[in-house]
Amino acid sequence: MPRLLALLACCLPLLTVASCADADAVVLYCSLDQVHSEELIREFERETGIRVRAEFDTEANKTVGLVERLRQERARPRCDVFWNNEIAHTVRLAEEGLLASYDSPSAADIPAVFRDPQNRWTGFAARARVLIVNTDLVQPGEVTGYRDLLDPKWIGKSAVARPLTGTTLTHAAALYEVLGEDGARAFWNEVKDAGVSLAQSNGQTMRLVSEGELAWAFTDTDDFNVALDKGAPVDVVYPDQDGLGTMVIPNTVCVLKDAPHPELARKLVDWILSKDVEAKLAASRSAQIPVRGDVPHPDNVRTAADFKVMDVDFVAVGRAMEERQAELKEMFLD
Amino acid sequence: MSRPLVALAAAAFAILGGLPLVVMLARVEAADLAGLLDARTLELFGRTLWLGLGSAGLALLLGAPFGFLVARTDVPGAAWMRPLGVVPLFLPPLLIALTWTVLTGARGAWPAVLVLGTGTFPLVAVFTARAFERIDARREEAAILLGGTRGALAASWRLVAPAALCGACLSFVFAVNDFSIPDYMSWVGPKFNVYADEVFATWGQTSSPGRAVAAALPLVALTLVSLLPALALRRRGALATLDSDFQRPRPLPLGRWRWPAAGFCLAVLAISVGVPVGRLLYEAGGGADWSVAGLRGAFSRALELARDDLRNSLLLSAAAATLVVPVALVLGHALERSRRARWLEPLVVLPLGVPAILFGIGIIAVWNHPATASLYDGPGMVVLLFAGRFGAFAVLIAAGAVASVDPALEDAGRTVGAGPARRLLRIVAPSTAASLGGGWLLVFVLSMRELDAAIFVPAANATAAFRVYNAVHFGRDDFVAALALLLTFLIVLPGLAWALLGRRRLEVLP
Repeated sequence: MPRLLALLACCLPLLTVASCADADAVVLYCSLDQVHSEELIREFERETGIRVRAEFDTEANKTVGLVERLRQERARPRCDVFWNNEIAHTVRLAEEGLLASYDSPSAADIPAVFRDPQNRWTGFAARARVLIVNTDLVQPGEVTGYRDLLDPKWIGKSAVARPLTGTTLTHAAALYEVLGEDGARAFWNEVKDAGVSLAQSNGQTMRLVSEGELAWAFTDTDDFNVALDKGAPVDVVYPDQDGLGTMVIPNTVCVLKDAPHPELARKLVDWILSKDVEAKLAASRSAQIPVRGDVPHPDNVRTAADFKVMDVDFVAVGRAMEERQAELKEMFLD
Repeated sequence: MSRPLVALAAAAFAILGGLPLVVMLARVEAADLAGLLDARTLELFGRTLWLGLGSAGLALLLGAPFGFLVARTDVPGAAWMRPLGVVPLFLPPLLIALTWTVLTGARGAWPAVLVLGTGTFPLVAVFTARAFERIDARREEAAILLGGTRGALAASWRLVAPAALCGACLSFVFAVNDFSIPDYMSWVGPKFNVYADEVFATWGQTSSPGRAVAAALPLVALTLVSLLPALALRRRGALATLDSDFQRPRPLPLGRWRWPAAGFCLAVLAISVGVPVGRLLYEAGGGADWSVAGLRGAFSRALELARDDLRNSLLLSAAAATLVVPVALVLGHALERSRRARWLEPLVVLPLGVPAILFGIGIIAVWNHPATASLYDGPGMVVLLFAGRFGAFAVLIAAGAVASVDPALEDAGRTVGAGPARRLLRIVAPSTAASLGGGWLLVFVLSMRELDAAIFVPAANATAAFRVYNAVHFGRDDFVAALALLLTFLIVLPGLAWALLGRRRLEVLP
C-alpha cells in the first residue's frame, strides 16, 4: 500500500505543476485561423505588456468548438474576448445573452452595418465569398455567379463546401434573406438534385481548384489568397456583380458578459478594432478586406468600394440561423 | 484484493471517465428523444453500419493473415514487419486519406472503406498474432500429428477467431465514429454522409444540449453493442490458451509459400505505412524539387514553430498514461479476479463508446466550477481528459495480463502475511509489467493523436495534433509534412525505445 500511494503521489506533483494556469492573462477565444492571428496577438503583448492566453478553434470544428465552449462555460465564464472569423454565431451568442455591451472608441468609424445596435459585437476585416477559378480550365467571363453551379457543363467540375458549417453556412443562410425563403430553398434543392460536388471546407475547394481537379469553386478570399501565394494558376471572380452582389462576411469581436478581466478585455478589443490591425490583416497572407475605406491595403486586396456587395441584414441572418441550419441539414445530410 | 483500494481506483475511474458522460446524459429530456430516428437518420444509420462492416471486414481480411504470418511462420522479415504493422494506428487517418486521394484520385464510399480498413487492420493483426502465440506447442504438435499442417491450422483458427473478431469489433467502432474520412473521401461526386455527421451537425445547430446529446445516443448504443461482444471474446481469448507450463510454439515452415507470403505482408505494409509516410517525406523535402536541404529546412521550421506544442503533447500524454497505470492495475486485477467486480467491465468501456464531442463538453460541465477553476484552466485538465477517455484500454490490458498470472502465487503471498496492496505490487505488478507498459504506451499514443474531445479543454490548444490540423487547412506543404512526421516520430518514440532497450516485449492486448 505505501508503495502504491508513493506511486500515486509521484503523479500528483506532475498534475499540480501542469495545472498552473496564467491567472492574470486576458483570455481570448479566437476562431480566425491560428496562422493568421497568432503573430498579431504576440504583437499586442509586446506593445502593451498585457499577456494574452489565446485559444484557437480547429478547421475541423468550424467555430462549433469555441461557440459551444462559450455556452457551456456560461455559469463560470473564463473567456474575456471572443474573436470570431464570421458573424452569424456571434449574433446568436448575443441573442442568447452571453455578450456584454461595449462601445469601443476604435469602432467609431466602422460603418453601422458592421456594428450591433446594442454594441454587443463589432465587425471588422471581412472576407468575401468568391469564386476561385483555375485559369488553365476556365476562360475569363465563363463563370460569373452562384447560378453557374447549376450549369450542366460544370457539374463535376465545380464545387461548393457543404453548407452546414463555417462561412458557407452563413452564405447559405444569407441567401434566405436575400432571395426570400422560397427562392433560397429552391436554389439549394437544385444544388442537391443536380449533384453539385460538396466539399468539406473552403480550404479544400481551394486546393482542388489549385491542383486542377476542379475548374472552379466557391471559397473565401483568404483561402484564394493562399492559393495565389503558392503560385497556383488561379484567378478570382467576385460573383453576381450584375445581380445580388458578392457576400462579405466580417470578423467580429466581442467582450463576454461577466468576463474575468473586463478592463483588459476592453483594451484588447480596442486594439483588435484599430485601423492598424485591420491594415495588417489586409497585408497578411489572409488578405482580409478592410471595412473602413481609409485603411491602407495592398493592391491585391479589394475593398467594399471596389465591387458590388450583397446587401445583408446580419442580425436577421443570425437570428434565423438555427432554423436555417435545421433545414439545410435535412437537405444535405441524408 | 482490498476493497478500499478497489473502491478508490473505481472512484478515480468514475470521476475521470464516467462523470462527464453522466452529466451529459442527465441533460436529456423525454422531448429530446422524440423523432430521434426518422427516415433520414435511419438511412444515415444504415450507411454507417455499412461503412463499419466494410472497414471491419477489410481489416479482418488484411489483419488476420498478416498477424498469423508475422507471429507464427518463418516468413522472411517477420521480426521487423511485425512492429511496423502497428504504425498505421499512429498515423492520423486523414493523412492517409489525403495521400491516397492525391495519388489515385479515388473518391466515394468504397475508398473510405479502404482508408478506414487499412488504417485499422493492425487492431486485427495484433489480436491475431497474440492469439496464435498463445497456442501451446504440445496442442499444435498433436494437431499436426493427426491432421498435418492443414489440420493444425484449422484447429488453431478456431482458437484464434475470437481474438481476430475482437480486433474487427474495435475496427468497426473506430469506423462508425469517424465522419471526417467519409466526408473527405466524397467531396467530389455523390456525398457519402454518415450518422457521426448528424451528431456533429446537431451540436452546431441547436442551442439545446439535451437534443444534441440525444442525437448521439443511437451511435453510443451501436458502439457499445459492438464493444460488448468484444469484451466477451476478450474474456474467452484471455482464459483459453495460457497456463503456467505453457510451451511457446515453433514457427511454422511455409515452404514454397514463404516469398509470396512475404510479398503479401510487404504489400499490406506498403499500402498502410510505406506510401503515406513516403509521401510525407516527399512533401517535406519539397515535392518535385525534393532535396536533402529542403527536407532539413522543413524540419527546422517545423521544430522552430511547434517546439512548445510538441513538448506539451509529450508531457501531457506521458502524464496521462502514468496517471492511468496504477488505476488500471487495481481495476484490471479486480475485473479478472473478483466475480463481484466483473459487472464493472461494461462500465469501464463506456468512455470509449461515446462521441468525442460529448465527452469534451461533459468535461466542461463537470470541471468548470469556481472550486476547480485553476485545474480546469490549466494543462492538468488535459491530463485528466486523456486519462478518462483512454484509461479503459489500460484497464482491459491489465485485466488480460492478470489472467495469465497464476492465482497460486498470490495465495502464497497471502499465506505469508502479505496484504492486498503488497501482493499487487510485489507479485502481480512485476508479472504484468510488460502489459502495464503496453497499457501506458497505448494511452500515450492515443493521447498524442487526440483532438476531437481535447478541442473543448483550454490547455489542449497548445498541442502538436492541434497545430498539424490547423496547418493542414492551408494545404499540404513541406512544413505540414515535416510537422506530421515529427508528431508520428514522437508517437512511436516510447515504443521504439522500449523495443531497443527493454528486455521484454510490450504487451498491448487484453
